[in-house]
Amino acid sequence: MPDISVTIGMQQAWLLPAMPVVAFLIISFFRKLLPREGDFLAIIGMLGILLVTLFIIIDFQGFFHDGEFHPGEANVYAFDWVRISADNFLFLIEFSTYIDAISVVMLIAISIVGLMVAIYSMGYMQGEDRYGWYFAVLSLFVAAMLLLVTSGSLVWMYLAWEGVGLASYLLIGHYWERQSAAEAAKKAFITTRIGDVGLLIGIILLWKATGSFDIQTIIAAATSGQIGETYLTIAMLALFAGAVGKSAQFPLHVWLPDAMEGPTPASALIHAATMVVAGVYLIARFSPVYEVVLVARDVILYTGLLTAFLAATMGLVTSDIKRVLAFSTISQLGFMFVALGVGAVGAAMFHVLTHAFFKALLFLGSGSVIHATGRQEVEYLGGLRHKQPVTAATFIIGSLALAGIPIFAGFWSKDEILHAVSGYASPFVYIVLAGTALLTAIYTTRLVLLTFFGSPRDRSAFDHAHESPSSMTGPLLLLGLLATVSGFFVFDAVGELFGFSGGIGYLVYLHHPHAFHIDWAFASIATVSSLTGVIIGWVYWHGGAERAIKARTWSPDLHALLVNRYYLDELYQGIVNKVVLGLAGIVAWFDKKIINETGVDGGAQFIGYFGYRLKFLQTGKIPNYALGIATGILVLSVMVLARA
Amino acid sequence: MLAAFLLLPLAGGLLTAFLPDSRKGEARWIALFFTSLAFLISIIMYVMYDNTAGGLQYVETTEWISTDLFTLSFGLGIDGLSAPMILLLGLLSVVAVLISWNISEKTGQYFSWLLLLESAVAGVFLSLDLIQFFLFWELELLPMFMLISRWGTGRKLYSATKFLLYTLAGSALMLAGFLLLGAAGGSFDIQTLTDSPVTDAAIPLGFIFWSIMLAFLVKLPIFPVHTWLPDAHTDAPTAVSVMLAGVLLKMGGYGILRIAVPLLPEVAYDSQTILATLAGITIIWGGVITLRQTDLKRLIAYSSVSHMGYVLLGVSAMNSVGFSGAAFQMFTHGTITGLLFVMVGYVYERTHTRQISEMSGLMHHLPKGGVIMVIAGLASLGLPGLSGFVAEITVFLGALEPHPVATILGVLGVVLSSGYILWTVQRVFQGPPRREWEHLRDSTSWYEWLAVAALLIPIVLFGIYPALLAESIESGILPIAQVMEALEELV
Repeated sequence: MPDISVTIGMQQAWLLPAMPVVAFLIISFFRKLLPREGDFLAIIGMLGILLVTLFIIIDFQGFFHDGEFHPGEANVYAFDWVRISADNFLFLIEFSTYIDAISVVMLIAISIVGLMVAIYSMGYMQGEDRYGWYFAVLSLFVAAMLLLVTSGSLVWMYLAWEGVGLASYLLIGHYWERQSAAEAAKKAFITTRIGDVGLLIGIILLWKATGSFDIQTIIAAATSGQIGETYLTIAMLALFAGAVGKSAQFPLHVWLPDAMEGPTPASALIHAATMVVAGVYLIARFSPVYEVVLVARDVILYTGLLTAFLAATMGLVTSDIKRVLAFSTISQLGFMFVALGVGAVGAAMFHVLTHAFFKALLFLGSGSVIHATGRQEVEYLGGLRHKQPVTAATFIIGSLALAGIPIFAGFWSKDEILHAVSGYASPFVYIVLAGTALLTAIYTTRLVLLTFFGSPRDRSAFDHAHESPSSMTGPLLLLGLLATVSGFFVFDAVGELFGFSGGIGYLVYLHHPHAFHIDWAFASIATVSSLTGVIIGWVYWHGGAERAIKARTWSPDLHALLVNRYYLDELYQGIVNKVVLGLAGIVAWFDKKIINETGVDGGAQFIGYFGYRLKFLQTGKIPNYALGIATGILVLSVMVLARA
Repeated sequence: MLAAFLLLPLAGGLLTAFLPDSRKGEARWIALFFTSLAFLISIIMYVMYDNTAGGLQYVETTEWISTDLFTLSFGLGIDGLSAPMILLLGLLSVVAVLISWNISEKTGQYFSWLLLLESAVAGVFLSLDLIQFFLFWELELLPMFMLISRWGTGRKLYSATKFLLYTLAGSALMLAGFLLLGAAGGSFDIQTLTDSPVTDAAIPLGFIFWSIMLAFLVKLPIFPVHTWLPDAHTDAPTAVSVMLAGVLLKMGGYGILRIAVPLLPEVAYDSQTILATLAGITIIWGGVITLRQTDLKRLIAYSSVSHMGYVLLGVSAMNSVGFSGAAFQMFTHGTITGLLFVMVGYVYERTHTRQISEMSGLMHHLPKGGVIMVIAGLASLGLPGLSGFVAEITVFLGALEPHPVATILGVLGVVLSSGYILWTVQRVFQGPPRREWEHLRDSTSWYEWLAVAALLIPIVLFGIYPALLAESIESGILPIAQVMEALEELV
């Protein structure tokens, strides 16, 4: 192995985005000519990525000498992209790659989940229109996502950032004949773009202050106190605005539930495992700078906390199985931002990794259910464990991980976040977050019970249901395994096994090398609260349809508030329809009536009218002219005489 | 070489003009031949231009009018600023001929006006002398007027007249400004006046600056002198819209960067806040109105207004990055909006309507056309990887420090453009397909796809590797940027 890693390694990180780009290009142009519309090219691309990722990890270990990480060697310059220079000034956008532990965590998540999703999609998307195009866009997405996490330059990161947005737009709108899908795609793109305004301004501000787009240069300049604190705070908050949009945090979270209009495997990859954690990646990447601007870090902390809680409450009442998972994703992303807000980058990235596995598993599981029954509202499901044993078993594993039940992956990472919070912020934060973890267990239990247990509520859908093909259950089983064991990376021994002494904690705690350790007191509290959630869920929803609707009668007002997502979607829609389009109407009217018709046409008519009137002075009759001349002479004479 | 670029289209135009009616089918081939030849020359010029040496190259000058009082010369030359414009003109002229392939009414005359238009615009970009510049500036109006008023649609005579009068009103003051500058500087040579800017004239320099700027702002166009543009675009034939958006508007931006700013640098420097304010208003004003448009062509026309605001925003930064962004935006907007107009024409030719409300699900019937339109739209909303993004981000990078508010308005304009572009895509191409469009088919004509490819290639190429364009632009804006940086240090 080491022999090959000499030739392929960090220097070849550009291969990561390049391979799926090639797959994208070939499939999009030649899919009509290729067997199976070229889906195998996407798979080959993903396999290549997995391979290169492995080599990079091997190479990456070599950057640890003397218990420290040496990032200089991880920075690979490729070429000048734009170069404008004047006398005393150079404007340069470079393309370079930079890989450190944070990138490696992302690479692991992207390559594994990407491959699983691509294989699963062969079964899920079979026989659909635009089958090849789907794989092309999936490759495009993976390419952009890999570029995002390996780019050393902010401009290229922004480029990839928009690239994943484009792929997301295309996949959400994959069934564009459906008005709701077209609407959701547009909503997702524009909502995230509002956040991107902040990101772009942040990039410009940082460039102004440091004269560079190179992320490591910026971090070095910012942490050495070269930049004024207020200025830096504004810039870092602007960057965070980009993260809020991309990672669906309050108040820009509204696009993610609607994004479920896309094909389910795409949701698993983009809207659960990878793209939505781009915001987390961004903040983690700049975490040394956020340690300097604590105000910005508090904003991150409380945004994450609010989002985690609100999304969990909405997840309690949603009936669409995918949307429950979407709210759960928003909520879990909130957990990650809380971790970043208290400076626990390691915990956040750990949660990114475990969440990628168990949430992708849950999405793919829900896809298997939808594929089998054609239904995605829990009101019409139930009892499916008899029909889909593999799906049910793996879905339950994913749910246990999400709920934070011990030994499953989510338990370890969530516990790490709770632990970090308890040591840093006020007890209020800890209590809300632990409460949210309880809510998580409740809605997860509800989802599992209503889907797989009890009696079927839609007979025809149930009778029609069957276990999915092996191309779909295979990835479920593998992700099920990862959702169980990926939490064990916290243990030194497991890290050792993979060549990282000190486990994942050491890997991602770049600036504060720190090994994970389990505080059993906190772990017990977390376990008890998760189990309580499961029990509450069980008591409440166990036993079929009647109980399922009881939630509605318990507090109709609260239920309505949650079902309507706190009326935020209505509010935004109202702002767009009434305020933006209303103002646009007024401006358009002003432009047409006042500027154009009154000002421009009016001016022309005014001149035309006077020209018309004046032309009658030109009569062609000599006496008229003579009279004019005489009058003129008279007036002039009077003036001259008066002067004299 | 440059004289050939200037005269070739004219020669072709003369040929087609006198073509007997019985042979009018040959007119388009003649036009294609001459525009292609000119395009080839423009590519050669662009590649051969030495960016490291910079300055004016391939200069050809002859004495034109000589009296005791003044000398007028007729000179042609290119620098890093005009080279991309010439390339753009050469490219778009070929595209314009290709998408006019089916013009059947007075074909010979149509192409002769179109070719004359190319020559006139070429004269503007190549002129080394103020009076010569003015001459070509005015000459371009004539073919435009004829093309819109005779081959247009709707209220074509109104729109053509409005275009003509509006531009004439603007350029009348420009001529006065040129004469005053020439009298004060003792020369009409642009390079001479740039090297030693006039410091004193018969009337205050501020008046001269704004009287020249007015003509350029009308052309660009900038709020509030923009309302001629949507009318002219809506009623012009597709090829003329492409030329109008693609190169004619650029004459405004080019004039600012070539004449207004370098010849009166101090006034320009002091006016930057006003320019930035106008730019910010134009971006938002145009973008917001675009949201409300129901006619596809008018929608693109208003989006064009908004996008030209970025050119002025880049100029108002008065630094090298801002100038580069402005010049970059001029080029990319020419290709992107050119492609958008081509595709609107493509849809219109099939549906015979431009009303957005009458379309739905066209992606189903016109899959290739739909994909191209989406790519053009994404380029227009500044998607990274396509050339529009490079231009916009460069403008923002240059303008944020001197004009933070206008720049933030500009960045918000990007959100607006995502709004109107994606909403349009949703309404026209997505949604349930309609039965009435069942018979529509994608084009199989080579000329239409060649036109699309000719525009798509630079959009992708300069988006992926902008240095290809940026190097030329850099050498072009360097002299002005140095003057501005010197002024900045004084302040």
